[in-house]
Amino acid sequence: MNASSLFHSTINTLAWRPWLWRQQKFLSPQLAIPLFPVAGKKNSCDLLALNETDLEEQFVRGDGPGGQATNKTSNCVVLKHIPSGIVVKCHQTRSVELNRQRAREILQQKVDLFYKGENSDIFKEKRTAEKKKQEKKRRAKENLEKKMHIKEMQESDSK
Amino acid sequence: MRLLTSPLRRMLSGLLNCCEREGGRPSKCCSLNPHHLLPRQNFSAKPTAAELVRYWHGVFEANRIPEAQESSEYIISYVLGAKTIHSLSASSLSNPLTSEQQQQVQWLSMKRLQRMPVQYVLGEWDFRELTLKMRPPVFIPRPETEDLVSLVLQKSQRSGSPAVNAGHRCPTAIPHPVILEIGCGSGAIALSLLNKLPQSRVIAVDKEEAAVNLTCENAQRLQLQDRIRILHYDACSGSWEQLLPWGPVDTIVSNPPYVFHEDMAHLAEEILSYEDLDALDGGNDGMRVIKKILALAPFILKDLGVFLEVDPRHPEMVENWLQSHPELSLSISATHKDFCGKPRFLHIQKHKAGDSSNKKDFACPSVHLP
Repeated sequence: MNASSLFHSTINTLAWRPWLWRQQKFLSPQLAIPLFPVAGKKNSCDLLALNETDLEEQFVRGDGPGGQATNKTSNCVVLKHIPSGIVVKCHQTRSVELNRQRAREILQQKVDLFYKGENSDIFKEKRTAEKKKQEKKRRAKENLEKKMHIKEMQESDSK
Repeated sequence: MRLLTSPLRRMLSGLLNCCEREGGRPSKCCSLNPHHLLPRQNFSAKPTAAELVRYWHGVFEANRIPEAQESSEYIISYVLGAKTIHSLSASSLSNPLTSEQQQQVQWLSMKRLQRMPVQYVLGEWDFRELTLKMRPPVFIPRPETEDLVSLVLQKSQRSGSPAVNAGHRCPTAIPHPVILEIGCGSGAIALSLLNKLPQSRVIAVDKEEAAVNLTCENAQRLQLQDRIRILHYDACSGSWEQLLPWGPVDTIVSNPPYVFHEDMAHLAEEILSYEDLDALDGGNDGMRVIKKILALAPFILKDLGVFLEVDPRHPEMVENWLQSHPELSLSISATHKDFCGKPRFLHIQKHKAGDSSNKKDFACPSVHLP
């Protein structure tokens, strides 16, 4: 009797395969595994790849022996892109690993914007989003004016 | 100015009773000194999240609670339904809290004033992508251990790569890896691996029933219970018969107690008063449980090897110990550093047959990756 027979297993045809985000391959400094891309519209952006060798990472952890001997909750990641000097800080999550991934995503966007300027997909997306917001405002204002006009008409009719 | 109002004093004594029930060792954590609270005259009738964070930061600092700012932020975020203060919008931070929310903040903050670790105060914490329930005295997963999981994932998924050292095998990717975790605690490592390796199976063991129960609870919350078997088992008991029917396993992973016994007394009050000290104390050389795991390995382990989190002094000590126990046919194939640059993780594998003759010529090879 072995582990397989003790587990009630079913055959699953979905084999695991590594996710690569087109040209962007994030490598964590010590362990060469590709980080998983975040789902969402950013996947369609064509951003400059970040080389792990260009990055310098620091962790706000305070003093202490680390590991089991320490229980600190501060897990802020500070990530610097050495060629451009851009630094991002991330403490959005309670996991160091997720903060590292998120810091790389944010840094990649900033670096892309830095080098490509208006040609950056990030810039274009922001501009589109801004335009949509302004359009929404304009329509809302129009609707409000229409409603006010109708109300005035009704009041003058009832007199 | 420091005040302790009488309603708060009543709440404090109620909390002292609660502290004994919930865990914590009263003689250490519930001191008879009154907690210093700040006057709240500066509050509006309904304080905002930002105001409360400032207030409790001040209280924690006045009472010399470590990580005063972070503690305050995590508690208030939690009450607002967020993981961190930085994930809250500016408008959420300036909205007034309901009186129920304020009471909840107060209740949780009083626990933190007892030096209860934030993770126990909130009753939950995150490990990689997972949110896990936390309960004293079950050991709280440390952030370094997230990298241990990355290491196991990397090695489990590698296919056909050339051996780093001549003496060690690098097998092709295993379609349905079976992983044994020794000392599962809250289930952080086991459940992360199950989550990332959908074809894997895990056997998780712990000598503490509280840990077995908590791992079980977390497995069910994450819907991973079908692929894990959790056993109440003491790896140091010396009797492996209970485990043998589950083997052979592809890999063993562990974050065993590795603190040197002489260092235990220097640990923070949060740890000493609330966590299971057996989950930390590795004996005089910090290797008591490590040695047991390595002694077990040849009986139950296939090719992927053993992954351990250790004290930074251990790589050399483990190497020496393995050399003095050639009957185990194990050696360190790689040492990895944690995110603070300290050697923290060991990958130990079986020698290939017929390699024992080479051992005389060079020290057991260890690849130290940057």
